[in-house]
Amino acid sequence: MIMRKLTLAAAVVTVTALSLTACGGGETAAVDSSKISIMAPFLEAQPPTPDGAVQKKLEELTGKQVSINWTPNASYEDKMNITLASSEIPQVMVVQSKSPGFVKNAEAGAFWDLTDKLGDYPNLKTTYPDIQKNASINGKVYGVFRERAPMRTAVMFRQDWLDKLGLEAPKTVEDLYNVAKAFTERDPDGNGLNDTWGITIPKWGALGTNSPYDVIEEWFGAGNRWTERDGKLVPSFETDEFLQADRFIKKMVDEKLINPDFATFDSTKWNEPFFNGKGGMIVDVDSRVSVLTNLFKQADPANFQNKVGFVGNLEGPDGTLHAHPSDGYSGFLAIPKSSVRTEAELKNVLKFLDTMNNKDVATLLNNGIEGVNFTVQDGKAAPVKPETDASKAVSTDIKSYAQLGTNVTGNQFYPAKQASDYEQQVFDKRTDVMAADLKSAVYNPAAPFVSATYVAKGAQLDNIIADARIKYLAGQIDEQGLKDAINLWKTSGGDKVQEEINKLWQDSK
Amino acid sequence: MSAPVIDSKAAERKQPAAPAPRARATFPVHFAHYKWLYLLLLPGVVYFAVFRYGPMYGVSIAFKDYVPFLGVNGSPWVGFQQFRDFFSDPDFGRLLGNTLILAFLNLGIAFPLTIVLALLLNEVRLSILKRTVQTLVYIPHFLSWTIVASLSFLLFALDFGPLFLFINSVLGTHIDFLSDPAWFRPLIVLQDIWKNTGWGTIIFLAALSTVDQDQYEAAIIDGAGRFRRVWHITLPGIRSTIIVMLILAIGQMLNTGFEQIYLMTNALNRSVADVFDTYVYFVGITQGAYSYSTAVGLFKSLVGLVLIFGTNALAKRFNQSGLF
Repeated sequence: MIMRKLTLAAAVVTVTALSLTACGGGETAAVDSSKISIMAPFLEAQPPTPDGAVQKKLEELTGKQVSINWTPNASYEDKMNITLASSEIPQVMVVQSKSPGFVKNAEAGAFWDLTDKLGDYPNLKTTYPDIQKNASINGKVYGVFRERAPMRTAVMFRQDWLDKLGLEAPKTVEDLYNVAKAFTERDPDGNGLNDTWGITIPKWGALGTNSPYDVIEEWFGAGNRWTERDGKLVPSFETDEFLQADRFIKKMVDEKLINPDFATFDSTKWNEPFFNGKGGMIVDVDSRVSVLTNLFKQADPANFQNKVGFVGNLEGPDGTLHAHPSDGYSGFLAIPKSSVRTEAELKNVLKFLDTMNNKDVATLLNNGIEGVNFTVQDGKAAPVKPETDASKAVSTDIKSYAQLGTNVTGNQFYPAKQASDYEQQVFDKRTDVMAADLKSAVYNPAAPFVSATYVAKGAQLDNIIADARIKYLAGQIDEQGLKDAINLWKTSGGDKVQEEINKLWQDSK
Repeated sequence: MSAPVIDSKAAERKQPAAPAPRARATFPVHFAHYKWLYLLLLPGVVYFAVFRYGPMYGVSIAFKDYVPFLGVNGSPWVGFQQFRDFFSDPDFGRLLGNTLILAFLNLGIAFPLTIVLALLLNEVRLSILKRTVQTLVYIPHFLSWTIVASLSFLLFALDFGPLFLFINSVLGTHIDFLSDPAWFRPLIVLQDIWKNTGWGTIIFLAALSTVDQDQYEAAIIDGAGRFRRVWHITLPGIRSTIIVMLILAIGQMLNTGFEQIYLMTNALNRSVADVFDTYVYFVGITQGAYSYSTAVGLFKSLVGLVLIFGTNALAKRFNQSGLF
């Protein structure tokens, strides 16, 4: 009797424990084609409210009941993997990159292969097939990519310092050095103290993340992560140009033309030395031009013009412009197979995504609601002034909703009208410079390829080079040490990565 | 281990009608006799089963090639492959070395300092001074590592941090404490001492208050000075507390503090900064290699378990009461 009770108790405990741990099982949600669930990241302090004006308008325009699970950007990757292992999988997931986690799931069959399907939908049939290929996994398209302007690299400098010293805006990397040297040694702020430096670089070491190091190496001709040499793809850091570029940067570090704490300087404070008149230049994306201009505008609304100057990519020592582009996308919208089970359901979801990229919805996601937070002036979206509570709410919400925009057929929405004529001029100049540089862009030839070894240990491998690069620049190791690190990369699995990438590259030709 | 004896005696006294079961009584009889005690035990057992042992089912992914989409059960079984990969990884030696060095530095420096601080506080005669100091040294414990790291960054910042300027001007050097690998460990130990030493004194102070005051009086009459008294009365009086705390500290030794190290790591000091905890995060969470990092974590736990049992056995061998 007691024994039986005990067994029963034990059984109850076991069953409870098992059911708690095994909630990953089955449970099929009833399919309702008028409902769409989405998982997306938000980068603002708060996610949009589920009954806001933008949400209502979105449901009206798409004719679907859209439920969006907004997830904080910082923990998005973790949440995505946890979601995939759970029973509550959304029909559309924003996938931010071809991370090892995503690649493993995709190769295990977690997502629909959309390679032959997107062409059937007018707003999903991309006008940038190269970028779609970049976003694929070895040619297999697992999602609708989120288009980003590929050319965004710029050199920003203190225009007032440049004018004071009577210098020209840099055109070549040699000019960059000369301007940096002048900014450091010729007292550009005129305070009589030797308290300025040329270029500010923050703690940003990882390989292939469009860091200032990556950019300068590409300008020297090292290629964009991978480069073709003698009919083979080799990683950029195995080229002579890579060493040349790093020698060049090291020279600037040694001559104190770069902030001495470049290895530890917090990147969220990147603008401060520029604004406070310590460091005269920044190499980053061109949108920072606006951010910097705004800083000066806030401090002194009457006199902020001609503080921030910029140029695009710089010519390398070989006299050629190797402009640095990004891969042209920021993740993609993927469709999990566990929530979208049949071809019919897939069609329904794809049709929804097609609607999401038409002019009306793209305008909603990127500009907002016409008449509420913006009006159209000369084909541009001008913010409604003065701001009302309603317009503020829409303007805030669309910063998150823009995460759902794909724009694979080009931007269907209105470009933003800048606040003043000066800012509009700067904006237009940015557009022109970037368009011109795009013609000289050197892309990453291996962008579409995902090697199995790289998925398994790529980040550790990359770190070997990234850390060695910073150590070399800081003077902890010499050039031989940097070369040793490159050899270590090869022997720790890099050779295998290179072999696999080359095979995929050959197969795709 | 005298507690059970006392218990059964108490039971006998309280329940003379039902004599305690014989030592070799079968379990059902034993269970029936103590059923209320077992009922009392049940919530604890359930808690441990559900929240401590249940999740251990997830440890099985260390032996699989886990893919979230396939789930824990659906992922292919690979046996000890993850462990083999880890032990043959060029990072393995460095990780083990860094973890152990930091662990022993913390144990060898921070742990004795706690006892020293407790002894010092114990010797303070002025009650108000003692209480004030006690409260003040507890405060750092309540600051998060993020704040401690930010403070360090400010104090040691290259070319303008006050401590950077002070130390370098005294030594006549130009050391960047935040990125120089040689200074990483001292900095970590220093932070640890600053943050945790005060808090750690609580238990020792409690133990110190139980030391027999008569012995001090006797010692004073015998002409023992302060250090003699500390050495011959105070320290032996709290010896068992020290041993228990040491065993607990050794069990925690390999938990080198993820946040602290993660925050203080940069490209220039990573060679000495990488420890198991940060590696598990880096490989597991940011790269999605869940199985691999679970294997690393499991290995770390095993080492911790061996250390606990080892210290306990040593403590018993030297005629001290161990933890269990």
